[in-house]
Amino acid sequence: MREIRLQIPSHADYIDVVRICLYGIASKLGFSYEDIEDMKVAVSEACNNAVLHGLKSSADAHTAIDISFVTDNTSLIVTVRNDGPAFVYTDALEKAAPLPAGKISELPIGGLGIYLMQALMDEVAVHTTERGNEVVMTKYIP
Amino acid sequence: MAVNQFHVEQAETKDAYILYVSGELDLSVVPQFRSILGSIVNLTNKSLILNLKDLKYIDSTGIGIIVSVLKIRDSLKAPFLVQDIPPPVKRLFDLTGISGYLTEGVEN
Repeated sequence: MREIRLQIPSHADYIDVVRICLYGIASKLGFSYEDIEDMKVAVSEACNNAVLHGLKSSADAHTAIDISFVTDNTSLIVTVRNDGPAFVYTDALEKAAPLPAGKISELPIGGLGIYLMQALMDEVAVHTTERGNEVVMTKYIP
Repeated sequence: MAVNQFHVEQAETKDAYILYVSGELDLSVVPQFRSILGSIVNLTNKSLILNLKDLKYIDSTGIGIIVSVLKIRDSLKAPFLVQDIPPPVKRLFDLTGISGYLTEGVEN
């Protein structure tokens, strides 16, 4: 399979389209239902971050998120790129964790997205470029 | 694969307010879900139940809303239950650690 590219406006309403596209590509590569469900969440989390922290798409400024799907026959590599200021992703990757045990009143809200990306993919890497951010997620083909 | 439109059906029994949450709960429907919950989360005279039987997809933003509901109900000392969690959703609840805080209710 050659590289497949998808570009969506930087808005939450289009992230479901990324999941549909991912579903088709991953099915074609023979991934299990469970693996596809995992990838759908991980890739959506990267898109969520791009929408929430990247440049916003508005009536007078079209901003996009670029998603690329590549396979080397052993894995599917999904890259999510967005324009905008660099997020402190490297730091966040190290700190990402599930909810701690303890009192409900002390539970943090948020911060689970990056943890889920790491927990659900085999590899996650983040690159900060001049334009913005790039999250590269790899899942091994069974 | 058809896109599963997010939808919430509200029901009320003698003891509980039940929200039947269906479709895909993601970032795009956070404002909609928050506004539905806003009118009901502070009612302490009955239990609040989220029925997730037809929830097809959830991500960290949806789980974040459930964490905030947990916190509000806890501070009000009001019962909050979750029922009929589908296996893929349960897996994410387990991974994120929210499972340990949820009380699973039975259908009534």
